[in-house]
Amino acid sequence: MESEVNGILVAAHELKAPLCLLKQLAFSMDFATDAEDLRKIQNQMIGVSDRALRQVQDLTKIARLDDGLFEMEPVAVRAVCDEVTAELRKLFWFNHRNLEIEYRNKNRLVFANRELLYSVIYNFCLNAMHYSDEETRSELTLSDKDGKVRLDVRDFGPALPMDVWKSLKKGWVTKPTSIAMRPGSSGLGLYIASKFSQYMNANVGAVRHRDGTSFFVELMPSKQASLFEC
Amino acid sequence: MLVYIVDDDELFAECLERYLSDCEVRRFTNVIDTINEMNDEVPDMIFLDVLLDGPDGFTLLNEMASYSDTGKVPIVIVSSIEISPVGLENYGVVAVINKAELTPESVRKCLDKI
Repeated sequence: MESEVNGILVAAHELKAPLCLLKQLAFSMDFATDAEDLRKIQNQMIGVSDRALRQVQDLTKIARLDDGLFEMEPVAVRAVCDEVTAELRKLFWFNHRNLEIEYRNKNRLVFANRELLYSVIYNFCLNAMHYSDEETRSELTLSDKDGKVRLDVRDFGPALPMDVWKSLKKGWVTKPTSIAMRPGSSGLGLYIASKFSQYMNANVGAVRHRDGTSFFVELMPSKQASLFEC
Repeated sequence: MLVYIVDDDELFAECLERYLSDCEVRRFTNVIDTINEMNDEVPDMIFLDVLLDGPDGFTLLNEMASYSDTGKVPIVIVSSIEISPVGLENYGVVAVINKAELTPESVRKCLDKI
């Protein structure tokens, strides 16, 4: 019961931020200098709303994971990465950051649920954007490792505190608490990514760098891959 | 009037800056950059978020209180977490505003305290 209440509190705190921001953006419309400025604010409101809605949708998906309703199938991981980065690139640009992609392996099919995989990549990228320093890039990398397909999202910002990293190294992010926390965040996005990865039998983890952090997920390649890969 | 906004949520800081259109505003996302800038020019007021990457807002309060010039700068804490203002007046804090309750009027009222 206590952990359930904590989870609700954390989710509430995380969702409070976009609501506060939307309120301020609405006030800001009165201070817009011209039509272009007004359109900029409008776009910002849409972007903030979209991210909050996605988070709410992900939370409702977590509740449905136990029902096993998310079908596992061969998924072209590069195509999902391309979709996520296409959606987020503008947001990175708005925040004076850049998102770069590097594919170091063949075009792999992985055994996953496309919808959940999309959310995992999306949450990793959003986390990287939030914790990257201004005017820096985040890197999304796909590679092969030990028979699995590994997706890394690297940020260049403050190093992950040692205690947080140690907790994360022990395994799954089991609840959105200080384990996944970096300042100003409850780590809800990482918790969501962790839950979805677990459902897809994929490992998640983090690598600590002096100038930032990489979060990764290791996915099982699909047996139907050979005809597709190039 | 020179006003600093210290907040790592850049969209939120941008909104705040709009409300302060008749002031000279400088925005910072972390405490270190704020302190460095303050060595060159001390602001007339600071709007400060508490949860920041690296050293937090309370570190800045401590740092500023330890110098005679910066110790007198009025500070408004703007945060999404509940913070009691009790005792913070010793650090130059003139108001604490929850981000959920912040309005352009509440920001203007803070400026009146200078």
